[in-house]
Amino acid sequence: MDFFATQERAQRHTTRLMALFALAVAAVVACVYVAVRLVLYKTETGGSGPFWNPDVFVGAATITLAVISLSTLYKIWSLRSGSEAIANLLGARRIAPNTTEPAERRLLNVVEEMALAAGMPVPSVVVLDKEPGINAFAAGWAPGDSIIGVTRGCLDRLERDELQGVIGHELSHILNADARLNLHLIGWLHGLMVIAFIGYWILRSTGGRSGGSDKKGGGAAIPLFGLALVVIGGIGVFFGRLIKSGISRQREFLADASSVQFTRNPLGLADALKKIGGAKDGSKIANPNAEQASHLYFSNGLKASWIGALSTHPPLEDRIRRLDPSFTGTFAATDPGPGFVAAVAGAGSIPGDEERLAAGVVGLGGHTIAARVGTVQATHVDYATQFLASLPAGLRERAREPATAPALLFALLLDHDPEVRIVQVKALEGAGRFLFDETQKAAAILATCPDAARLPLLDLALPALRQMSRPQWDAFRTTTHALIVADSRISLFELVLQRALVRHLGPVFGGTRAKGAPTAQLADRTTEVVLVLSALGHACGSDEPAAEAASFDAALRLLGGEAGAISFSSRDDCPPEVIDRALRSLAGLVPQGKKRLLEAATACVVADRKVTVAEAELLRAIADSLDCPVPPFLPGQEV
Amino acid sequence: MTFLIVLVVVAVLIVFWVVGLYNGLVGLRNRFKNAFAQIDVQLKRRYDLIPNLVETAKGYMKFERETLEAVISARNAASSAVGRAAANPADGQAVAGAMAAEGALTGALGKMFALAEAYPDLKANQNMALLQEELTSTENKVAFSRQAFNDAVMSYNTARERFPAAMFAGAFGFQPATLFEITVPVEREAVKVSFT
Repeated sequence: MDFFATQERAQRHTTRLMALFALAVAAVVACVYVAVRLVLYKTETGGSGPFWNPDVFVGAATITLAVISLSTLYKIWSLRSGSEAIANLLGARRIAPNTTEPAERRLLNVVEEMALAAGMPVPSVVVLDKEPGINAFAAGWAPGDSIIGVTRGCLDRLERDELQGVIGHELSHILNADARLNLHLIGWLHGLMVIAFIGYWILRSTGGRSGGSDKKGGGAAIPLFGLALVVIGGIGVFFGRLIKSGISRQREFLADASSVQFTRNPLGLADALKKIGGAKDGSKIANPNAEQASHLYFSNGLKASWIGALSTHPPLEDRIRRLDPSFTGTFAATDPGPGFVAAVAGAGSIPGDEERLAAGVVGLGGHTIAARVGTVQATHVDYATQFLASLPAGLRERAREPATAPALLFALLLDHDPEVRIVQVKALEGAGRFLFDETQKAAAILATCPDAARLPLLDLALPALRQMSRPQWDAFRTTTHALIVADSRISLFELVLQRALVRHLGPVFGGTRAKGAPTAQLADRTTEVVLVLSALGHACGSDEPAAEAASFDAALRLLGGEAGAISFSSRDDCPPEVIDRALRSLAGLVPQGKKRLLEAATACVVADRKVTVAEAELLRAIADSLDCPVPPFLPGQEV
Repeated sequence: MTFLIVLVVVAVLIVFWVVGLYNGLVGLRNRFKNAFAQIDVQLKRRYDLIPNLVETAKGYMKFERETLEAVISARNAASSAVGRAAANPADGQAVAGAMAAEGALTGALGKMFALAEAYPDLKANQNMALLQEELTSTENKVAFSRQAFNDAVMSYNTARERFPAAMFAGAFGFQPATLFEITVPVEREAVKVSFT
């Protein structure tokens, strides 16, 4: 599945959803009007006048719309912290990134491997301690700020392979922007729900008082109106859930397929689903707020609805059969389905993927790389596992430990130049004795580590860095800034690191998140595109201007006429600060624009048939800014 | 009619505002609870180190059995007190109990290290040096996590005491949270772990 097409589809879904939602709201408004009119008939002396009364309609419509839109906006606003809000809603506990509990450790290891394989920042992981059922969920506004949650049952009862399948499924929800759409869904449904809630509230507060004293015969009208609101709200919620479930069910199959593609092991996921089917608690979530988030789960969190259309997940048996055609289940296999998962599953035995990657993507242009965005091949998971195992002793622990993760980042920023180091050491002294010592220790270990490990280490450290308090974060930012400007110029890596920190950790500590649907076309951002591609050209590592220009031209050719008549910017014209601004502005591109930009960028990188660390890092920064996770280049890969 | 509309909209806004305050407090409370988990991880690591340390010291400090036993019992007491606090970090008493037990343990360790000064063989023991290094580093990490926890508690307590929230915070069960501070005066100097 093409990442960009999926992104666009997610946007289309959002639009369609809004239209359906608007229909539901309109229906609710009409019903409220009827209810109000009937109440007025009862209370107004004589109950005269025609049924259609524009004044009453405007009043009822304004109030209803105001209530629905305010509560929708409120809910989305209250979910602005995304991952954290959902965790709070469900009463989840964050797993300490440096935990030593074996089951938690195993889960974090699986998440780290899969995230590194996808080239995305490692998400935080939360656990629902009080839920014995087997279930999981993902939530967040962007790949950099998302959580994966699992139930206690999932943690305790699943084998590693099964866990990997489940985590792959959840990661694909994040990569496919499902997690984002799901947050919107919660907000909109909340708006409809409020009508029913207000009705219930009126019913309760008046029902008690009015008792038997029916003054003027209008006393019963108010509770009746409340009852009407409950019914209307209920109908609204019903249709809201219908919409939500319809969308959710489609996405589950897609996520299952992606998960298999990630792990090349359909049986792991199938076994996890079978365990859910066989378990007493199944995948039930007992938390009272479970309904609001029911479309986030790995498997049905509520009792299976008696109406199939209201079920947020496809039947378990269907999902298993698509993964494991030999599954007989309790239901007779009527229609094995198109078997698109089976096709992906087959990839495990077909050597095509693996061989192609091992042999290098020789001769393939940017199109292939763009096609890889937001997907993971099993080879990447293997690579991530090997990479993590090959890290020098102590480094992974340092990245996971909230107290030492800042020091690891400081160490990454230390310069080789002794003179710059003197300035940097001064800056480090301000960070306190402990961090100073830890930075030195980390720097000593890092010296034995290849440069290519720098970015994955940053990704690994993010969950631990999220654990800092606000004052600690402020102090951390001060020190990193001092370290970066020590040599009075910003290198490419420093730029990448700074951007990653601001983008992925800023929102956690009260920073703002770029919002709004992307609308910019590639043609509107020509200046920025040229700047970024020129910087990539310079990063090729070749000292020959001709070679650099050739890389740039390769990128331009891919962009065709859109970029117009433009020339390669010189090295002095694109300092990292400028690139930084350009990247920020490019984040507003529409998905197809992002795709073309990434294709061009990749063409630029691979023009000389080798990928330098600087190129890979800058490419990663570009992709990251566009929220398009790119799997890592495999070692020794000749492109 | 206009009046009614304004009234309903204002009422809805007020309801959301109060719900927002409530949810804000829940979020802050969860944040400091999560922060305690960090301290808990570090302290557990410390408790795991101590029996090894005592085991190593036992071979040399034959005449300090009481001191060593005091360390072990202080460790066990601290372990269970911290376990209680970790179960509910919003419980001020449990956190205070954990602080006291931690203080006692640090005091007992300090005493043991002071006495260890008299045993040159022990000072020369490689294993001992490693364990001590590990202990110092763990204690530094505890300090870092404790700072994060205290910052989170501070922002929760501040939010809780601010005017509109203060009116209903108590009624909704938002009790003031306790800082995790060093309670024993001798402990203020970080445990002497070097034998020099």
